[in-house]
Amino acid sequence: MSRSTSHADDRNRASVSPPILDPSAPEIGIHGEIQTPALHALGKKLDQRWPALEKAQAQARDRIRQISQILQDDKLIPSDAGFVIFGSLARGECTSGSDVDWTLLIDGQADPAHRRVAQQVDQTLVRAKLKQPSPGGVFGNLAFSHSIIHDIGGQNDTNQNITQRILLLLESRSLSSDDVRRRVIGGVLNRYLEEDISLLTRTDVKRWIPLFLLNDVARFWRTMAVDYASKRQERAGQGWAIRNVKLRMSRKLIFVSGMLACFNCYLCPAQEAGDGAPSIAPNYGVRLIAQLRSYTNRTPLDIVAQALDQYAKKETAAQLFAAYDGFLALLDDEDTRRHLEHLQPEAAVKDRIFQHTRDVSHAFQGALDTFFFDDHPELSKLVRRYGVF
Amino acid sequence: MLTLGISTGALAHGDFRKALHMMEASRADAVELSALRETEFPSLLRSLQELDLSRYRYVSLHAPSRYESLAEVHLADQLERLVPGDMPIVVHPTPIRNWPVWARFGSRLCVENMDKRNPMGRTAEELDRIFTRLPEATLCLDLGHARQIDPTMTETDLILRKFGNRVKQIHISEVDASCTHRPLTWAWSLAFHKVAALIPNVPIILETPLSPDCPSINGLLDIVEDMWSGQSLGALAV
Repeated sequence: MSRSTSHADDRNRASVSPPILDPSAPEIGIHGEIQTPALHALGKKLDQRWPALEKAQAQARDRIRQISQILQDDKLIPSDAGFVIFGSLARGECTSGSDVDWTLLIDGQADPAHRRVAQQVDQTLVRAKLKQPSPGGVFGNLAFSHSIIHDIGGQNDTNQNITQRILLLLESRSLSSDDVRRRVIGGVLNRYLEEDISLLTRTDVKRWIPLFLLNDVARFWRTMAVDYASKRQERAGQGWAIRNVKLRMSRKLIFVSGMLACFNCYLCPAQEAGDGAPSIAPNYGVRLIAQLRSYTNRTPLDIVAQALDQYAKKETAAQLFAAYDGFLALLDDEDTRRHLEHLQPEAAVKDRIFQHTRDVSHAFQGALDTFFFDDHPELSKLVRRYGVF
Repeated sequence: MLTLGISTGALAHGDFRKALHMMEASRADAVELSALRETEFPSLLRSLQELDLSRYRYVSLHAPSRYESLAEVHLADQLERLVPGDMPIVVHPTPIRNWPVWARFGSRLCVENMDKRNPMGRTAEELDRIFTRLPEATLCLDLGHARQIDPTMTETDLILRKFGNRVKQIHISEVDASCTHRPLTWAWSLAFHKVAALIPNVPIILETPLSPDCPSINGLLDIVEDMWSGQSLGALAV
């Protein structure tokens, strides 16, 4: 062996490091892993623990790891698709009865095989004994980026389309590579801001509320509320009580987090880009997109926790999270859940368990009222100006 | 004034001599000598000293994007010894394992942002991690790759704001869903104009293939010059 070769070998051995994308490297972690730093910080500040929430987060992490491993082992997801989860699992609020709301999000050439992939994913999850979403609904099948990005408002923006779009923004995680989800979210956010002429034409904008997005979030919340009433009739009261408490709590939370993300663009605008940027007038629209994009990688609870930390009185924050923790405890109790799933509306008034859920939801709503209207003058101005009309 | 040229790989896959010959009659004043495939690399390296590249204001070399049989250190050694001292060396970050070996190239090393086939080096955040390990390296901003990663061009904007002062050269092409370089289209020019104001005045290397609609190198250069000077977007309706 020549001296130069052995020297090269020595350098090679001494200096080789794993690739930057080594899954064992700290930057990467598990696909879709949930982290809630603001929530943890708030808990410390309030000196409060929320045991049901902690348990729900731990259950979500375990289930996410399980599903991610299955997807990796079976190499199920094509490169132009993402396996995206929604619902309680994506929010990190997994309770005993939580199912796996998932979608195969496609952003690429149409391929007849995509349907087969979705079916294979479904069968794989069933074999793993993971509770599947209701058949015929929004989840458990394919979703295409084209309609999500292009059909915002207008005739083609169906109930399913708006649901997929808003939930993609407010409560989604990719358990395969995040490329597709990130790209579609980028396209959606770009659409919302491109329609805002003021952002495009004004150079003096320092902070802005993305109204198109805010209106769509509000529309989605109202859609959920109306659908709840519609389902009560369609299903003759079956599962009504569970849907009722979820509407009052987790669905409302999604709306609140979306609204706060929009308001925060005004209250806490994104700073200018970092070092090395050429000295050109800043494109506020791009910074706004980057700021909104960061919210799409956080859970609703974490977004709300951060906002409460910044704008709410301690007692408001404590009340809100105690109520939400109570809600998760209810859902995690199998007997309670089963009871609520079978409770008919007519029996609800005198039902002790249902009345307890109402008390929890009233405490939650009371905290929201105080937070949005009383605790912080700037926030209440925004709610009055943009939250009503 | 633009410094504008072509990648030899875009003109003639694996045959840099043929590509250089094709360019002789053009007004291109920049060239990227492409050895993306391992098999092309030895021949290009051997020929470097004898090639007459004096007509070009800017010359760079694109190192292999994968090196299975070439050891990484061996490849770096050869580049260091045989590539003229001032010639930028464009590399893909994906195959890099031995970061210190590449860090010693300093600002000669020109890291290219990647397309969707690659798991890294695609976004501002991912490039940031790379430049932490290669602090003096420059950036070959591939606009086709960046647009493929994010068609809204938000990510390109972020890359330019963060690393604009590292940009050494620009790659231009349209990259389709199968990661193939295609002729530029009107939609591409729309995307380009979103970030044009942020792009520094550096050499531009086309990776766009010639096509029946645009069969000449000068024709390609015309299109890019029109686009760069802010001409009507209809100029790209080829």
